[in-house]
Amino acid sequence: MTVQRQYTLPHCNLVLEGLSADANDPLSPLAVLMNAECHLPGATDATLTGGREFLDSLVAAVSRYAQQLLSGVSSPHLGTAPPIVEIKPGEGAYHHLIVHQQPLREPLSDTNVQPPLDVKLTTVQFYDLMEAVDQLLADTQTLPDLTAQFQAVSRRLVQPTEPVVQRAAPAALGAAVLAAAGLALFFVPPPEFEPTRPGSESATPAESSTNPLETSPDPAAGEQPTEQDNSSTEPSSDPTAAADLERLKTAPAIADAATIALLQSDVTRRLQEAWADAPRPRGDLAYRMVVSEDGDILGYKYENDLALAEVDNTPLPQLTFVPVDAAEPVREQVAQFIATFTPAGEVVVEPVDAPAETTAAAAAELSTLENKITDGDRIRALNSALYDDILAELEPLSASEDLQFRVRLAETGDVVGYEPLNAAAGLLAAETPLPGLVTASDSAAPDSDRNQADFQVVFTEGGVLQVSPWDGWPQ
Amino acid sequence: MPVNSPPAPQPPLVLDTLDNPGLSNDECPRRARIQLDLLLLAIEALDLSGGEAMLAISRELALEGLVKGRVHLWLLRGTNPMRRYSQRRPLQVEEAKALVIIICTLARRLTVLVRQLLVGYQQLADKQLSPEHHFRLADYLSRFRSHFRARMNPRRAGVIAYSTDEKLDELAIQLLQQLLLCAGVLGPQRLWSSLFDGEVS
Repeated sequence: MTVQRQYTLPHCNLVLEGLSADANDPLSPLAVLMNAECHLPGATDATLTGGREFLDSLVAAVSRYAQQLLSGVSSPHLGTAPPIVEIKPGEGAYHHLIVHQQPLREPLSDTNVQPPLDVKLTTVQFYDLMEAVDQLLADTQTLPDLTAQFQAVSRRLVQPTEPVVQRAAPAALGAAVLAAAGLALFFVPPPEFEPTRPGSESATPAESSTNPLETSPDPAAGEQPTEQDNSSTEPSSDPTAAADLERLKTAPAIADAATIALLQSDVTRRLQEAWADAPRPRGDLAYRMVVSEDGDILGYKYENDLALAEVDNTPLPQLTFVPVDAAEPVREQVAQFIATFTPAGEVVVEPVDAPAETTAAAAAELSTLENKITDGDRIRALNSALYDDILAELEPLSASEDLQFRVRLAETGDVVGYEPLNAAAGLLAAETPLPGLVTASDSAAPDSDRNQADFQVVFTEGGVLQVSPWDGWPQ
Repeated sequence: MPVNSPPAPQPPLVLDTLDNPGLSNDECPRRARIQLDLLLLAIEALDLSGGEAMLAISRELALEGLVKGRVHLWLLRGTNPMRRYSQRRPLQVEEAKALVIIICTLARRLTVLVRQLLVGYQQLADKQLSPEHHFRLADYLSRFRSHFRARMNPRRAGVIAYSTDEKLDELAIQLLQQLLLCAGVLGPQRLWSSLFDGEVS
């Protein structure tokens, strides 16, 4: 038996048709819903019709939207399929009821798809629609399985009040600024490193402190500087030239003869090549050069007056290596040569032995001691004397590890020589008082006939000086 | 059988229709307290004797155990943090249920008036006219504004948002619409459920 149930309100008329469960009882609930119709007089002339799916969707949409109006919290639609009925807020106090209607029993295709029906409802009209649905839900004699399901929206489902774009704006702005700054800084050249001169020499910045001989002749004077120029520059350049060699004096000398020979031929070849086109001098030009182990000319000094006058005609100024820090003592091994530029156009390079010996011998390897001091009291006295001598001159060292030396003393207490025992000691020997203590007269003639004694001297990292006899304390 | 104490008071049956929300404790969230007080404020603006009507309904529906007279009702409404004399006491879930029942019952009684006002507002809005052209609506709005300003703390951030007449009128109309939705058959359940939107896990 077909049953019709109707819920009537001023702006909404909801009609349900179905088969009753019990044909004899007019109040029995509907077993099967055949059709649901919704008339909205005043809002639209169209009739919204559909089956159970339409009715379920209408109930869900109305309930959800009413709760949204009350709380202001919009709840997302749960489920995969798009809902048949949707209600969305409109401008002002209007609400939009959107129904996606499809003809019954026709498959969905491109040709028969209908645009969704959009009904504009006032709040009062929406209230009537809601009330009709609510009455249906509360009615236990129509569709008992259709009941009101009120559920507060979960915190997880609440959409934040600020849209994603607004929330992402600060982060995007930050990233953009970073990118712009990176782009802008890309075009800024990296700062050029300019080594600063130490304070004592910064007062005369115009004068190159390393090799005054190559800078003192006025470059504007041309290739042949006059005698007058040279005589005027001579006095000023002399002290600095001395300081130049002073700096190189502390450097350890190259002892290996093969290395010296190799350096000699290498420097000769380079000077010869560089000097090939220069005007020939009137006489021999002799220069003393200090050459490092890798062949760099670290400094040079004229040996005769003509050499000073003609220095700009030689390749020495161009070939000289200018160190970054002129005040720093040279720590690499060096060899000294005499370079002679002859009027015939030849360059003769010869190693210098005699003067280099004086500086290098003290630090050179000590020969095996033959005549040892055996007197225990003498050794103790020498030990304490050496300790006092070194301590009197000792200044704070820049060493990061212990510096170990073997120091040889004559019986008189003169320091004959010393030998670094570890790498740090070799590098930092100049910082210790040892070079100043060496008595030059003794080192010139190694006297094996006189009694000597070796001592171990250690400058510890912590700044403590330790002096002990090389062969151990006498019994 | 003699007993030493009276039986524990049973909660009113009318509250059974409202399910307990899944809250972590028995206290109502901040938004719920504001919403309940504002709806009561709108009822007062609609009905001059609204305050008395609230007490009368609580007696009718046997809610006196939860809303114990005028001062207690004032204390309950004072849990709204926007109030000038805001109470630090929490609003219990059962007390909130009683307020929901009172609001929905009064809203149902005022349905006809609320519908008239909303229809009038809609017509004026369609003609781009201000609500002052509708005498009854203008009356409601002005009364709501004065109630709101008299009772809310103007230094509160939530109240500063309603500093202008236009903003307050908007709020009053919004509350009027919500009152209408509360007037339906399932109004109490819907209002109750909406109070905890976004608060439950």
